[in-house]
Amino acid sequence: MSLNRQRIFWALLFFVMILAAFIVPFLPPLTDLPRVYGSFLFWNIFALVVIVCLGIITARWRDDHER
Amino acid sequence: MSANTIYLALFLYFIVGSIIARQARSKLGSGVNDFFLAGRSLGGIVAALTYSATTYSAFMLVGLAGFTYIGGVGALGFELIYLSGLILVAFFGPRFWLVGKRYNYLTPTEMLGDRYESKAVAVVSAVAAVIFLIPYSAVQLIGIGALLEGISGGAIPYLVGVIIASFIAVYWTWTGGLKAVAWTDSLQALVMLTMATLSVIFIAYRGFGGFGGLFTQLETQYQTWLTVPGPGFFNINAFVGLTLPWFFFSLSNPQVSQRLFMPRSLGQMRIMVMGFLVFGFIYTLVSVLWGFSARLLLPDLEAADSATPVLLSLDIVPAAVALLVMLGISAAAISTVNSIILSLSSMVCRDVFKNVSPAIDEQRELLIGRIFVPLFTLFILAFATLRLDLIAALSVASSAGLLVMVPALIGAFFWKRGTAAGVLSSVVVGGLVATVLQYSGWRPLDLWPGVWSGMVAVVLFIAVSMLTAAPEKKAEDFLSYLRSELDRRKVI
Repeated sequence: MSLNRQRIFWALLFFVMILAAFIVPFLPPLTDLPRVYGSFLFWNIFALVVIVCLGIITARWRDDHER
Repeated sequence: MSANTIYLALFLYFIVGSIIARQARSKLGSGVNDFFLAGRSLGGIVAALTYSATTYSAFMLVGLAGFTYIGGVGALGFELIYLSGLILVAFFGPRFWLVGKRYNYLTPTEMLGDRYESKAVAVVSAVAAVIFLIPYSAVQLIGIGALLEGISGGAIPYLVGVIIASFIAVYWTWTGGLKAVAWTDSLQALVMLTMATLSVIFIAYRGFGGFGGLFTQLETQYQTWLTVPGPGFFNINAFVGLTLPWFFFSLSNPQVSQRLFMPRSLGQMRIMVMGFLVFGFIYTLVSVLWGFSARLLLPDLEAADSATPVLLSLDIVPAAVALLVMLGISAAAISTVNSIILSLSSMVCRDVFKNVSPAIDEQRELLIGRIFVPLFTLFILAFATLRLDLIAALSVASSAGLLVMVPALIGAFFWKRGTAAGVLSSVVVGGLVATVLQYSGWRPLDLWPGVWSGMVAVVLFIAVSMLTAAPEKKAEDFLSYLRSELDRRKVI
């Protein structure tokens, strides 16, 4: 995939993820699930997925001496 | 806790930090870049720790724990979405770093001024940063003063706590510039995280028999605290109003975005980003669990912000641990304040003085910047002693007020048509909107100030830019350099 396509791919993926982090906990079934495995778990998983994605993106960065 | 014990702990803390700061000075170069950017040569681990200590203030164990106390799990969502704002660094971090090296930028506001070919842009952006960050820093000092006063049962007067914190911040900063700030921040970050984590483990095991017990009690006694809007604090408007401006923190706050100029390579920037994410994830969980514990152990508090000091005074927290947590919270506040002071000082010498008198040499520029370190500290100290309502309002408005810089920053990298007039109108009008709405408490359509200031800034930046002439040659030079470098370095 070209870099430009990657930029669009990641931007769209992150947009959807952030939107979900704002909206999903305010909708059923999470609003009706007063458990630790409800919104608490959801937001934790969201953050961990973001961290993994950023790990993938930054692992591709190259410095001059590495080429 | 006795005042003498607290004084002794703070003194030892100051001595250790001062040894580190003086060590940093021995490795300090003589130029402006050395003093304010550590010569663009920070290693990844120190960069991650200073980024963490600067980003996370006393708000975490006091304010966020308080949000959890009154609003439940929504506080976790708010803070983790804020953490996910590091997505922006994946896109903008290498761009800042590359143009910073090529054009020798000292501050993000200098970058804006150069990119839009307007000294007014640099000056106005720097002044806006001063207006919003000084009250924000004053609130950090107010927090330390109140904490020390509370934990000592009034034996340490509020003003004494504020003065001690200011002195520590200014001494370390003055001693060795950014290098001293980064190294002492590293110590402070480790103290913040270790003490907070240890204490929450202590509370969970001694108060509830473990984290399982804590969660079980939450699920039985405070069910609504595990959903949003839950007890009501985090309705969707409040959630968006609080969270949206903070999502852009990594770009909008100059003391943080300036750190994107500092790593010595992209590889070190990667370590900075990933290190901060891990730090932030743990610190967020700890702060939220701290708030939940307070909810269960202290159900009748009148002020949510007092959850932490009161929790520390309970028998289940040993006095030594309480003392170390107090140090951790003070460290969080001091490490935020000294980074802001340094960042604002660099903006004054580069964006204001250098723009007004371009002929001043580097040593004089550095001298001006250094003089502003104690001056800003005194200014912040004066604000903290006043304890005006306006300070609290401006501090809360800081995220909404600084958010108005974001359209200009994004435009600098992604939109050739952006103009200086677009930047000036969006920053000035957006900043006024944030301040007026925050101070008056007026929320048109029930939307929070940050949502309005953000929308106003975006619309004005685009509309005014479309009506005015863009600096085409500069934009082309700036963006074509980035295009080639980003492709070479495989940066998205």
